[in-house]
Amino acid sequence: MRTTNLIQSYVNNSPVKRQYNSDKAVKDFDVKKELSNRTFIKPLPSNGKLVKIGPFELMSEFRKDIKYDVKALVRAAKGEANDHELGRLNDVGMKVGGLAIAAYLATKKATPMTKAFEFIGLTSFFAAMDLWPKLFIQLPAKLVHGVNVRQQYEDNYGRKKMFYQDHQFIPWDLYSDKEIDKIGDRLNVPKNIPNRREFIQEKMRKIALQNNTLWMLTAGFATPVMSALICNGLEGPVKKYLAHRTDKKADALMTNFAQEIKKYDFSKNTRKLEKILADNAGKPITPEILEAIRVNITDGLDHMVAVGIEKDLHRMFPVSERYNFSGENITGIQDALKKTLSESGLSEEQLAKIIPGKERISVALEQKGLLNGNFKEFSEHSKVIQNILADNIQLFITENPSAPEAKKLNFLMKKLVHSQEHGADSVLSGTFKSTSSSVLTKETASLLQNISNELNDLKARTVVLHKFAFMKAAQAPETGLADSWGEITETIMKSLNFTPEEIQKARLDREFAGSVLRNKLEAITLNQDTYGKFLEDVEKVLSSLQGRIETLDMTQDSSKNKYKAAVITTFDDSAANLRKFGLTSTSEALVGFPQTAHTSTKELYFNFLTNRVKGVTSSIYRFIDLADVYYKVANVSGLDHVLHSGVPREVKEEMVELAKQMLLEGHTSDFSVKFWQKRNPTPDRADTSQIETAMGKVVNKYFGKRETTELAELVHDREYFEGVMKLMFDGDVHPVTHSKLKDAIFFKDFMNYRAQALSVLGGDYCFTRPNCLVNGHRVDSTSQLKFLLMGAAPDEMILKMANQKFNSGKWFSMFGKLGAALVGVTLISQLFFGRMKTPKPTKETK
Amino acid sequence: MILPISNYNLTFRSNKEEKNNEPYEKDTLLKNNFATRTRIGLEQFTKAFTVYPARGLKGSKNSNFYEFLTMGTVPYVIGSITLMSIFNSAAKHFAAFDKSKSLKLGNKMALGVIFYALMKSLSKSFVNVPVKMATGIDTELPYAKVNYLLPEDEEDKDLTSTEYHKIGESVDFTRWDLLYNTEKGEVLNARYDKIAKKNGLGSDLNDSDQDVKPIYKEVLIKSKLAKSISTFLWAATGVALAFQKPWENYFRVATLKFWKGKEFTHSLKVFGQSFIDSAKQLYKGSPGSFSVLERHSGKLMIGTALTSTVLGVLNTVHLTKKPSKIDNVFDKSKESVVS
Repeated sequence: MRTTNLIQSYVNNSPVKRQYNSDKAVKDFDVKKELSNRTFIKPLPSNGKLVKIGPFELMSEFRKDIKYDVKALVRAAKGEANDHELGRLNDVGMKVGGLAIAAYLATKKATPMTKAFEFIGLTSFFAAMDLWPKLFIQLPAKLVHGVNVRQQYEDNYGRKKMFYQDHQFIPWDLYSDKEIDKIGDRLNVPKNIPNRREFIQEKMRKIALQNNTLWMLTAGFATPVMSALICNGLEGPVKKYLAHRTDKKADALMTNFAQEIKKYDFSKNTRKLEKILADNAGKPITPEILEAIRVNITDGLDHMVAVGIEKDLHRMFPVSERYNFSGENITGIQDALKKTLSESGLSEEQLAKIIPGKERISVALEQKGLLNGNFKEFSEHSKVIQNILADNIQLFITENPSAPEAKKLNFLMKKLVHSQEHGADSVLSGTFKSTSSSVLTKETASLLQNISNELNDLKARTVVLHKFAFMKAAQAPETGLADSWGEITETIMKSLNFTPEEIQKARLDREFAGSVLRNKLEAITLNQDTYGKFLEDVEKVLSSLQGRIETLDMTQDSSKNKYKAAVITTFDDSAANLRKFGLTSTSEALVGFPQTAHTSTKELYFNFLTNRVKGVTSSIYRFIDLADVYYKVANVSGLDHVLHSGVPREVKEEMVELAKQMLLEGHTSDFSVKFWQKRNPTPDRADTSQIETAMGKVVNKYFGKRETTELAELVHDREYFEGVMKLMFDGDVHPVTHSKLKDAIFFKDFMNYRAQALSVLGGDYCFTRPNCLVNGHRVDSTSQLKFLLMGAAPDEMILKMANQKFNSGKWFSMFGKLGAALVGVTLISQLFFGRMKTPKPTKETK
Repeated sequence: MILPISNYNLTFRSNKEEKNNEPYEKDTLLKNNFATRTRIGLEQFTKAFTVYPARGLKGSKNSNFYEFLTMGTVPYVIGSITLMSIFNSAAKHFAAFDKSKSLKLGNKMALGVIFYALMKSLSKSFVNVPVKMATGIDTELPYAKVNYLLPEDEEDKDLTSTEYHKIGESVDFTRWDLLYNTEKGEVLNARYDKIAKKNGLGSDLNDSDQDVKPIYKEVLIKSKLAKSISTFLWAATGVALAFQKPWENYFRVATLKFWKGKEFTHSLKVFGQSFIDSAKQLYKGSPGSFSVLERHSGKLMIGTALTSTVLGVLNTVHLTKKPSKIDNVFDKSKESVVS
């Protein structure tokens, strides 16, 4: 061991020993003086150095560390590593384990964002582990005391270690006197105290130890909290980045459509089909074979098309209807007869006598023209066989009247021709149906292969189209449209500027959310500036959405829209080709005939995008319309087309209230079946004054002043309901709204939305009551369209958002506070560290 | 062998007669059994939260690296609790649906933290046990180290402290000395003899210690490497196990209130069933998952952990540092070896 050798070498060659053993002993050697000086027992000068890494050396240090770890791994595997190397490998193991966790959990997550956050979570955890002591221990200590408590040094062998790792072994000699003095000055250590260096060192050691202990005590709280806060902070930017990436990826799918479809390999399926066809070549197509073919070629196709193919295959290859029958089938008949009659217990010879010979059967059948042909049913065949058999049995009974087996024969004969199961073939007739008339010929196999190839091409194309549609607009997290929706609702929330108290209340349920939102809107619409600002915010974010959903506009010409063009080519070409092969039902499922085009798969690919976009835009348009109506009401302006002088004041108040409620809370069902409201059946008809408002709210003169027992639901008041609808969707928007939105890219679309909502919702035959139509026009519509026009009810939108805000706010306040408290304690602790009694300065002797 | 203290006839207590609080008089080899391990673990755990932080915050002269390392338990325990709490404690304020969704994840996370620690600790034996069986070397053999402290003030009378280390803790400074039998009437090299015999170095060796030390060191290094990598992978497998869906059945009935017999027993039963189902699901993948990666990622995880252990153990027991046998160093037929 090196230490032992040093000691031995010292003992053997110590100056003292040399002095007495050597002829060249130093004269006048004073042992006492040498001992008190002690210079001679100092250890060898160190080759170690303090590590000072600047930001520019971080990368090279990182590379150096990786190289060291790889070397350590090799040495450890050979059994040659040292403690330091093994220590580093433990850290490597920890990181490998962490990576394994993140990778595994990422495979369980469905979306890129959640997958990414497994790795971000892991990285942030390790980062927090590293950053906490650096930012909140090392840095404050350095600022307060001027001591780097996490100083590293490189030892003689180039191994990096913490300077204050072991307080019983601190390599102080790596600090020069000058450096220590400088730190001492910073620590306010008096200059003229005895053993100043030792005192400063002790103070530095103490500060380092106290800080390291503080690190150990706080890291447990700090690391997970800091990591979670980092993740929280990164959520927004990562989401934005991934959304952008998904969008680009989706667009690339359409740009490189031809290359994308080649990425799908159906060779496994094709080989399987080839095997089925080869194994059954020349054989009759049985239901089992046809089913195997169907399963193979429809694998991966959507249900509608798969059903079409099934229909076509059964039509083209009618396996269960006609059967070939020739002399070759007679052996099967004989076997069946033998099998059934053997139950009688007759010997082989006796049975041979009863069962008719091949020639006799074929002659009998031929005489009746029942041999060699394809037949749908075999009752005549069966009769011929029965007759011959009956003759033989009769003959046998006559010859062997006493044989006990003979009696059983007639019974078994009946069993042959009657099936126990209702509707099923008897044993005898079953034997005729062994050879289906459809045979898997070379031509059939080639046709099926061509069909399969065409369908594989269709599958590849539809997969790419589906992928595009999903990435852009699916009702799933992190699709383009979902991200846009998130951004818009977030903007609305921000713009409405809810207080924490409002959020806490609004998160409880729809009722609370609705009332909070109503108050908020009434407050905003009170003032033109706040209302204008709100509209500007919404306009900005909605305009940006318009840019992003341009590719989803299916009203565009196909020359301008790559997705639309790809859908048309895919479905039209496939349908035409498949029709050529005789697959008419499949072709119909793909593109339909003129009457059925709306339910075709092709149409689905258009409608999916159109509907998703409509749902989102309608929700936002409804919100803008809501704000516009509230503004009109708050300012009692732009309402005259409904609230004119012919309408009693009380009815006006009732209308405004219902309109405000419907826009805020109305669901599709409210529009199609009822506009529920309790009203006064006998309003004061003389008072036709206009409504009055204060602070954005209607100051009701009549509404809400009567006992509920005096009120009733006036379900037949057609004009009233029409008025409410017109209050909501008819007429111009308020001039302020107009001026703010007129230049917006979506303004025309918004105005169309209002018109469509009025005509479609109000034109429904069953709107409130049958025939209670707005403007007297009946509009044929679908439930789906009505649903899409209503979009999300604003109160529900706010309820969801308030919950999200509350949850993240709650979490943030809990752990943000914990983090802040921890930082506070850690920082303040510095003030109490490193306190030592300073020795008295030595008096200078003159 | 130079022992740091025995060369001097010194006592580190002001009064020799005074009772010593510390259980050992000198560095003592301990038996590696459950009782000892538990006792050491408990003592280290207690001191990590009490004595050592107090000494560290005071800036004591006697704080050392051992205490710092032992204090590593503190962030581990507190960190685990904080991590569990981050995912669970805010959820109770959420609305019902958000709460149930959030708690599902939170509970799995908490279970993951527990399984991480459990598997990390358990999986050490996956290496230790086979290595001990194959080589006879116990890489986790503990010993108590008596430490002599410096007085910090005049009142300090008892200046010893006990630390618990492992013989093979350091591969550079392995405590070979404690492996000798120094008691009277015992064979000095008995432990080394046993290991030498087990590894085919022969019996009745003159200096079995010298022959065994290189292979002992090799086993220490290689098994440390094996443990460094494999234990973390097993810990990761533990986390993966905790994130399986069947645990949700357990979370619904989980209770630690052992005094409520029926509920507690039921909860344990469901725990067992959920454990089995989750292990199956980890291996087979979630039912109905289409992604090949998701279906096989569990197998991959277990496979990686298992492979790392098997390779680590095989590498450890494959000894390359055995001394070469040199026969007939002295040729008796010759009078002199110098030609």
